[in-house]
Amino acid sequence: MRTPLLVIILTFSITIIGLVLIPGVDGNGNPYHMSFLDAVYFVSFMASTIGFGEVPYEFTYAQRLWVLFSIYISVIGWFYAIGALVALIQDKNLILELDVAKFRKKIKNLKEHFVIILGYNHATKELINRLNRDGKRIVVLDKSQEKIDELELEHFMPEVYGLRANVETPEVLRLAGIKKRNCKAVITLFDNDYKNTKIALLVKLLNNKVNIIVKSSTKEQTQHLKNLGIKNIIDPFHLIANRFYLAVSAPHLWILEQMLFGHDLYMHEHESLPNGKYVVCGYGRMGKALQESLNKSNTDCSFIDLKSAKHKAQKNSAIYGDAEDYQSLIDAGVEDAAAIIAATKDDLINLTILLTAKKINPDIYTIGRENTIDDVTIFQSAKIDRVYILEEIISEFAHRIISQPLTHQFLQIIHKKDDEWGKELIDKLKQKTCYNPEIFELRVVKSQAYALTEYLKNGNSINLGLLSRDLSDRKQRAKIHILMVKNRKEEITILPDENYCVKVSDRFLIAASEEARENFELLVNNVNEFEYITTGKELKFGLIRQLLEKN
Amino acid sequence: MNTQKVISGFFIIMAMTLNFGFFYGDIDKFAHHSPYELFVAIVVNLIATILKLGDKTQVGSVLLATSLVADIQLLAAAIVWGVSLYVLSGGIQNYAQVIVSLSGGALLANIVSVIIFVGDTLKSKR
Repeated sequence: MRTPLLVIILTFSITIIGLVLIPGVDGNGNPYHMSFLDAVYFVSFMASTIGFGEVPYEFTYAQRLWVLFSIYISVIGWFYAIGALVALIQDKNLILELDVAKFRKKIKNLKEHFVIILGYNHATKELINRLNRDGKRIVVLDKSQEKIDELELEHFMPEVYGLRANVETPEVLRLAGIKKRNCKAVITLFDNDYKNTKIALLVKLLNNKVNIIVKSSTKEQTQHLKNLGIKNIIDPFHLIANRFYLAVSAPHLWILEQMLFGHDLYMHEHESLPNGKYVVCGYGRMGKALQESLNKSNTDCSFIDLKSAKHKAQKNSAIYGDAEDYQSLIDAGVEDAAAIIAATKDDLINLTILLTAKKINPDIYTIGRENTIDDVTIFQSAKIDRVYILEEIISEFAHRIISQPLTHQFLQIIHKKDDEWGKELIDKLKQKTCYNPEIFELRVVKSQAYALTEYLKNGNSINLGLLSRDLSDRKQRAKIHILMVKNRKEEITILPDENYCVKVSDRFLIAASEEARENFELLVNNVNEFEYITTGKELKFGLIRQLLEKN
Repeated sequence: MNTQKVISGFFIIMAMTLNFGFFYGDIDKFAHHSPYELFVAIVVNLIATILKLGDKTQVGSVLLATSLVADIQLLAAAIVWGVSLYVLSGGIQNYAQVIVSLSGGALLANIVSVIIFVGDTLKSKR
């Protein structure tokens, strides 16, 4: 960058000094010397090719000869310098450097809690959408500029900060603010297990306090990550297999799990899995996970070892269903099977497997694995009985871990219980709330429960029985049921009874009807309503009434 | 011998000497202060500034700062000169002291620059 600037200074100073030194003639024919101001003025518009003409007086031939020379050196010098400057502005490295500087500044000014998401793809996009609705701040890193441009085009509110960078280097993670105190979680959901483990380890070393959410796709990998001390591991195949197991052998627990995702308290007819023989196409990571849960529930099953990549290479098409495939389905026993599961890595192959199986056996129950969210409409129109969307499951779980940690914990507790427990709880919930309760979390802190926190801080105590009274009539119970409490010392009480004494900083997981939820949130925040529930008296509000009361 | 050092040393020292040449003389006598010398001093100062660009060391930054100070003071002197000559009605004589003292300030900055430059050179083992 020095040379262009030097060229400008030199050409300008040479031409200016020449103009000042060469004698000219003014309007009356008297000799004169150009002043510096005139010379600078003239050269400035000459070099930039604006050209206002000969000022202040018409030039003599001696001056014109000099100007002729000057034009060539100064105009060339000017264009060279401008060209170099424009090239510099367009330089890719410089742009990246500027982006990094801007990004660093944004991260520095970020005061709220935030989450770092590594890699921008369908799953993380879905996750960003969910987290954004909760008002969480997000930082995204991706290797490719295209992805970052895509992210910027989405115009998330509040803004999601994105940067193109290689996420596997500690420098980049530090740049994204991993060492900041308000960085709450790092999420790495790549398809590549090795990459995920490497990042998880890096993050762990850089900041031990941050919450790491890692995707893993095999049991060995999960064990590996657990050994590293990572708690939040999302194995989509394990999750699906587990759900599948629950659906087959513990339908009430299945309903409870689905309830946490917004399902109602009944199992609909098309949702219940049939009894009988299962055929699984694809014996990869998902096939193996399913085998385990099918064996655990003593279900008769057979497998077709189908590799999507190999199939595509051999048959030269992404469609399953020629005569040979037809035969292999019949060999696996599709004709008298109760259900078929298509679990390969390719959506089109999965779809054609299910359609072919339906041709052989029209009554068969079809279950498909859908790899990307994009294909959702195809699966819907193909009328598949049950679809497991990998990316959606991953983003759902990651969202839950960050935004609703209690729900996530409750889910893990459910998995350890038996169906009898689930049936009891569902009956209780149906009786005490409604058939499709909303699940929400509440922490006893000022920002979430003002009145309740103030009341407890003043040395009073209140139990859950009193707290779950109805606002319109305190003798009645509200349609609300507390599922779980986690106190300040992280101790968990499942299904606390009415005598449980509420403490400051307790976190509650609550099931309630829509109306009861609104009322409850009003109750714990509004001092007047709270007074009514605790004492049965309407609090007098307004200055005049308070004065009247005193006198 | 380091050619880079010769060139930058040349411009840095010449920026000071020309600045001194313009500054030297009675403060209110224009005959002692040549406009040509001021012009050349500005040009050489600008070149010296650009030669100092891009040095990321501590010393380099201070050198650049001194040069920028000198540039601004000299340009200010030239602007005062031009404005008093063509725009203001008071006549240029009244502004002679302003112009010369501005260049005096620039001279101080240039002297600091040369001292740092010499010190840095002496420190260098190569």
